[in-house]
Amino acid sequence: MADLWNLIILNPTLNGMLALSSVLPKEAEFGLAIIILTVIVRLLLTPLVLRQLKSTKAMQEMQPKLQELQKKYAKNKQKLQQEMMKVYKEAGMNPIGCMWPMVVQFPVWIALYQSIMKALATTPENLLDLSRHLYSWEVVNATIPVNSHFLWLDLGQPDHTLVLAILVGGTMWLQQKMTTAPSADPRQQSTSKMMLLMMPFMFGMFTLMFPSGLPLFWLASNVIGIATQYFVTGGWGYLKSPSSPHLASRGRR
Amino acid sequence: MKIRTLACVGVFCFLALSAGGCVSSKPQGYSGVTSYAGILYLGSMDGKIVAVNPSARSQELPFPSSNGEWSYPITTLSKSMLSCSSSPTPVSIYGTPVVVDGSVCVGTYSGKVLMINPSARSQNLSFPHMRGGEWIYPRTDDVIGAIVGSPVAESDTIYVCSSDGRVYALDATYGDEKWKSDTLGDKLWSTPVVTGETVYVSTFDGHVYALSAEDGSLLPWVFEAETGFVSSPVLYKDTLIVGSFDRKLYAIETDGGDLLWEFPAANWFWAAPVLDDGIAYAGCLDGRVYALNVESGEELWELDTGDFVEKKKDHIISSPILVDDSLVVATESGNVFVVNPKTGSPERVKNPDDSQSDDKPSVDAPIWSSLCALDSMVYVRAQDNYLYVVDVAEREMKLKFCLD
Repeated sequence: MADLWNLIILNPTLNGMLALSSVLPKEAEFGLAIIILTVIVRLLLTPLVLRQLKSTKAMQEMQPKLQELQKKYAKNKQKLQQEMMKVYKEAGMNPIGCMWPMVVQFPVWIALYQSIMKALATTPENLLDLSRHLYSWEVVNATIPVNSHFLWLDLGQPDHTLVLAILVGGTMWLQQKMTTAPSADPRQQSTSKMMLLMMPFMFGMFTLMFPSGLPLFWLASNVIGIATQYFVTGGWGYLKSPSSPHLASRGRR
Repeated sequence: MKIRTLACVGVFCFLALSAGGCVSSKPQGYSGVTSYAGILYLGSMDGKIVAVNPSARSQELPFPSSNGEWSYPITTLSKSMLSCSSSPTPVSIYGTPVVVDGSVCVGTYSGKVLMINPSARSQNLSFPHMRGGEWIYPRTDDVIGAIVGSPVAESDTIYVCSSDGRVYALDATYGDEKWKSDTLGDKLWSTPVVTGETVYVSTFDGHVYALSAEDGSLLPWVFEAETGFVSSPVLYKDTLIVGSFDRKLYAIETDGGDLLWEFPAANWFWAAPVLDDGIAYAGCLDGRVYALNVESGEELWELDTGDFVEKKKDHIISSPILVDDSLVVATESGNVFVVNPKTGSPERVKNPDDSQSDDKPSVDAPIWSSLCALDSMVYVRAQDNYLYVVDVAEREMKLKFCLD
């Protein structure tokens, strides 16, 4: 299984990334390659992302209706399920279907993530492992070892200046805030609030632990996500929405 | 709901950390073995320098026996991810120790050079026992860059390359710094070559430099390859041989730095070649050993060790070694071959446990470390932290000893 994963997904991504590095300016080759490849992957995944955004938006618009049903049929779970399915059907939605675009994207992101870590090869063991994944292309071998310096970062080492951690956490918070709809349910609202803070905080912490090539990829990915969100949904989404769901729905109208 | 959310975040964090962990492993080290006065010295995978007496091992005496055996754990202070305090953790050792006047010198991946006195270690005296000639460099809590290559002793000086891009020359007796070179490149993971007044060193960014052994100043001699070097150069008369990431083995004249010849292979050269009688025997990550004429670069023979493993792919990470009239080659799959250096015909070393399958490798774990020959026996430290004893004459693995 691991061999198949390497053959079909990891090796092409890794070698593609190194081949891309070879045509970029030597002084920032790998940092730029991470950013460019993230953009390329994001562009390739655009149809899936758009589908996911539309589904999420439709699901969010249905929330008041669903919450009403939850209140109405709080004691009859079976009826609640039937009524909810009816609402989904009327809207032409499949509640599980909106997960598919995300599931399809996941292996691609994992491969990109693994490629960055493998190419940076910080220890002799990592470098030996890298040699097993490379094609015999001259252009790929010519980039080894990759230049891990990019701006103030050594991509093979964690960035302890906090700058990257703040950027990663900040952009992640912004992206989440743009997409998270305020909820009428106070329990759900507190959960969303906690997630909104917890995820950026966790990724900020990861940034201090992982080689900075990886947080650079997260940062690029977040920035592209924010831009996509801005242009696709036409604005800053829920960033400026008041916390009350009633006001939020009025604001959307 | 809160518990569910916390569980989700926890699972996500675990996945993110484990995915990171699976591609960025902790350095394990692959220290080679050296011998002096009948005792073997090597670094273990748990950061110890171990002195092994082969005779005591064949008699199965409890370790450490009183026959010159000891082990000394080297630790470094490191911070764990979730803790603010530092705790001692074992170091990783990559290079082969070198023996200087009976003391053992070793460089660690944590960026320290140590001189260890076997007598002081046998008595468990506190380190460094200055009166016993022990020292550590740097003496303070400071470190230099990670050391991957082996130290080299020449006259009263220890030369060592570091990942901070510098070569360090240290006084062998007291550990004082004689000089440190300017930063020569991104990283130096190789072992320097010292000859008379010159130190040759290959760099991660693809240069071979010559330095003055006197003061470390850069000499007007440089060779530039297409990509970097992790392989150490070796010297034969006036020719320097070194392999690169660009899949080529280079022969460079020490007089003017001109390229004499280059030999292309199918993967990187990681190990330093071994030279004898005008022939270079070079192991490559493509699993082949190449025998080349040092003067002309003409290929005399090649041996594909991949023919002996199931997937037809093997890698040679450790340098071959010449023992009596044979060339001994170890591969990553754990196979050891006794090769005729004239013809390249191999005989695989037998694993005594292979009664059920002929395909069982000569030893039970991957071999990345340099080999050591002593009294017609070859000693191999494999990546399972065992020291294996190979009888070259009988083509059989005779003994294994756990270094834990």
